[in-house]
Amino acid sequence: MEFVSPEGLRLDGRRPTEMRQLRAEIGNVAKADGSAVFEMGNTKVIAAVYGPREVQNKSQQMSDQALVRCEYSMANFSTGDRMRKPKGDRRSTEISLVIRQTMEACILTHLMPRSQIDIFVQVLQADGGTRSACINAATLALQDAGIPMRDIVTSCSAGYLNSTPLLDLNYVEDSAGGPDVTVDKVIYVDFALNGRVKASVLWDLWLYFGSYGLKET
Amino acid sequence: MEAKPSTANLVDKIVVPGDVVLDLSSMTNQTIKLGGGLRQECDSVSVIKAGKLRFSKPNKYWVESSQKRYVPCVEDTVLGIVVDCKADNFFVDIRGPTIAFLPVLAFEGGTRRNIPKFEIGSLLYVRVVKANPGMNPELSCTDASGKAAEFGLLKDGYMFETSTGLSRMLLSSPTCPVLEELGKQLSFEIAVGLNGRVNAESPSTVVLVSNAIMNSESLSAVQQKIMVDKLLQRIK
Repeated sequence: MEFVSPEGLRLDGRRPTEMRQLRAEIGNVAKADGSAVFEMGNTKVIAAVYGPREVQNKSQQMSDQALVRCEYSMANFSTGDRMRKPKGDRRSTEISLVIRQTMEACILTHLMPRSQIDIFVQVLQADGGTRSACINAATLALQDAGIPMRDIVTSCSAGYLNSTPLLDLNYVEDSAGGPDVTVDKVIYVDFALNGRVKASVLWDLWLYFGSYGLKET
Repeated sequence: MEAKPSTANLVDKIVVPGDVVLDLSSMTNQTIKLGGGLRQECDSVSVIKAGKLRFSKPNKYWVESSQKRYVPCVEDTVLGIVVDCKADNFFVDIRGPTIAFLPVLAFEGGTRRNIPKFEIGSLLYVRVVKANPGMNPELSCTDASGKAAEFGLLKDGYMFETSTGLSRMLLSSPTCPVLEELGKQLSFEIAVGLNGRVNAESPSTVVLVSNAIMNSESLSAVQQKIMVDKLLQRIK
């Protein structure tokens, strides 16, 4: 199947280095201390942050820093076919871990010892790039909650199809079977916190493309 | 990859975590005081909380931010809700990371014989005495000299929750426009806690007062006056 036409346009009319339209809102969840809705094209994600608050499980309490917990789930109606198990499956557990590690590296946890920060991210519409949208939404929600952070974390995905590196894949391009990478970066400090890569080929090229997309984010 | 962006003057502008506010390598022989929301990293001062950067002469910088969660600071006056009574302390919820303790003797003329009895759920106006990170904060119902001032139980009224930024605006002087406008036509009493809780008391217009205050957070002075006028016309 042709993902990039001979004129250089992708299936949705974008150029290879063009990102989808970004939209963000904060303060949507009234009960949460901080919340944000982030849209990347058709992918829509809502994040809610609670904390810092008392640790619920005293055995996990850390005396010198805050405990960061993250839960990623997809709504049943978020994908084309209704999902049977929104959370608890392997993919969700892996993505929860990835988001937790990324945000923990950025939050100044030593300022809030013996407390807990909960990040809940739910995908409302999935069209590729849900992992990136979740990290972007979680960053905004943490800022809305006033939790001290070193820097803003941004995330973007990139892939390689029809011999062309592509930025910000949607669902069709993501499931095409080519390699793809998601890069999370911190804006000014300039190091990659987390990178997931399905094939090891052309790592440098993707890192470059992923970073290019992050500057736009 | 790219050079650090130049530290344009960000005072009174909205800043986000990671913004570099000051470049210390170009400022020598100066003492600068950093308040909340700023952190020093080697040669630069960067922001850790999103908000508006403020500067007060001669040398104080801080970030003013408004959140729902309160971070306890010493000498803040807050509104707390009693959640439990133990032998030595009352456990009071002040919307912070941990429950605060109010010693049973921290009242004017408090002795073991006349310990006050608060029901669970009572609203108290208290002062924060100790607020160390990682420890439960400690409260007191007296001012620094031991007098009761106006601390203690708030019996009547309607309590609602706002953000910390709005409580600071209500307590600012000169009086904030929404309170001034309401005061011209109505009589009411409010107790404002820096933790985002406000208790409003009024003989018949409590709901109007509380709605006016809750709506006024993101409005400018002129917009606040217009909003209050519109609400007041409803009761005429």
